[in-house]
Amino acid sequence: MRLDLQAKSFAGKLILGPIEISVGRGERVAILGPSGIGKSTLLRILAGLDRNFQGRRDGDERLAMVFQEPVLLPWRDALANITIPTGCDRKTAIEWMGRAGLAGHEAKFPRQMSLGQQRRLALARAFAAGPDILLADEPYASLDAETATRMVSLTGELLDRSGAGLILVTHDPNEGAALEARALRLSGTPARLQKD
Amino acid sequence: MSQDSNSRSGLWPGLMSILAMLLIWTVASQLTDRPQTLPAPWQVAARIGHLAATGELWFNAGMTLMRVAASFALAMAIGLALGLLMGRSRRVDDWLNPGIIILLNVPALVVIVLSYIWVGLNETAAILAVALNKIPVVTVMIREGARALRPDLDEMASAFRMAPAARLRHVVLPQLAPQIAAAARAGISLIWKIVLVVEFLGRSNGVGFKIHLLFSSFDVTGVLAWALTFVAIMLAIDLFILRPWERRVNRWRQDAA
Repeated sequence: MRLDLQAKSFAGKLILGPIEISVGRGERVAILGPSGIGKSTLLRILAGLDRNFQGRRDGDERLAMVFQEPVLLPWRDALANITIPTGCDRKTAIEWMGRAGLAGHEAKFPRQMSLGQQRRLALARAFAAGPDILLADEPYASLDAETATRMVSLTGELLDRSGAGLILVTHDPNEGAALEARALRLSGTPARLQKD
Repeated sequence: MSQDSNSRSGLWPGLMSILAMLLIWTVASQLTDRPQTLPAPWQVAARIGHLAATGELWFNAGMTLMRVAASFALAMAIGLALGLLMGRSRRVDDWLNPGIIILLNVPALVVIVLSYIWVGLNETAAILAVALNKIPVVTVMIREGARALRPDLDEMASAFRMAPAARLRHVVLPQLAPQIAAAARAGISLIWKIVLVVEFLGRSNGVGFKIHLLFSSFDVTGVLAWALTFVAIMLAIDLFILRPWERRVNRWRQDAA
C-alpha cells in the first residue's frame, strides 16, 4: 500500500504537508508524534476512511482496523462481534478469540466484559478479517501498564502468526520498539514525516 | 430483573383499579332511569357472548385487525425509511420537513375523506388513509434516533467494508430499537382508532362499520360490546407481542449476569 499525500486540511487549516509512505505485508511501521499533530488523521487517510485530501492512495491490500476505543456492537455477543463485521465463519472467529485469550467468552455481550477483554476482542476481530495490513490507532491507550504490555506482546504474536503488516499510531516509542516497527515521526506544522 | 418485579408488583393495583371502574359503571347503570343509555356490565358481557357465538365478532374483528396490521406495516416501513433518510441527510430533511409538518397537522378525517374521493371507496383507500395519518409520526420519532446514531460504529462498519444490508440490520436498526418500539406502541393504538373511523365512513364490514349501524339505532350495549372487545384484543397484542419483543431486543443492556 502506498500513500503519496500532498496536503490535508481541516476547515481551511493545513494539518498535514507532503508525506510519502508505503507499507507491505510483513512490514511494520510505527507513526509517532505528540497528540494533536495529525497521526489519527493520517491513519484514517491510509485506511480509506477519509478521502477528502490532496494526493494519491494506491494498493488493494486487505486492511483491518483497531480503533482507539474497542468500537464493538453492544447488542451482539462477542462471537457475533467478530463474524458480523468480518464475514468470517464461526470456527475462524472462535480460533481467533482463543488466540486472544478469550476462549469461553463467546456468548458474552461487550458490556459484560472488562475493557481489557473488549480491546482483545477488537484485536481478534481485526485479525479474523484476514488483513494484509493491520492499522491500529493508539490501541493500548487507557490500559494499565501491565495489560498494555500483555496486549503489545499479543499483537506481536498474532502478527507473526498471520504475517500481516502493521501501521501503528502511538505516542509511546516503546510500543513501536516492542513490535520491532520502523519508527516514523510526525512533526512540524503542517506535519511531515521524519525518520527516527 | 427489576422490570419483572415491577410488573408483578404493578399487577395488584392494576386489577383493583379495573374492578373499581367496573363497580362505578355498575352503580351508574343502576342509577340511570334510561337503561338503554348506560347498560349494566353483565348486559354488555352477554352481548359479547352472543356476538362471539354467532361468529359475527370474529369476522368483523378479523377484518378490522387485518386493516390495522396492513396500515401499521405500511406506516412503519415508510416512516422508518423516511426517518432514516431525514435523520442522516441534512438536505433530505430540509426538503421533506415541510411536507411532514403539513401532514402532521392535517386532521385524520380530511385525509380519510380525500383518500376515499381520490382513490375510491375501497380497501386500498382505507389502508392508505390510515397509513398516511401515521407515517409522519413514525418519521419524526425515527428521525430523532437517526440523528443520534453513533459515528464510531459507522466508521467501524466502513473500515470492515460491511455490506449495506448487514450494516442496516446489525449496526443501524439496533440503535433505533428504542424509537422503533416507542413508535410501534404509540402507533398501534392511534392506528386502530383511525381504522374505526375509516370503517365508519366507507367500509361494509369491521368493528367501525358495526358501530355505525348500532349508532343509527342508539344501541349503546352493542357499541360498548364491540369497543371493549377490540380494546381487549389490542391490549393482548401489546402484552403478548410488542412487550416481549421489546424485552428481547433490549437483552444486551443487562449487565454481567
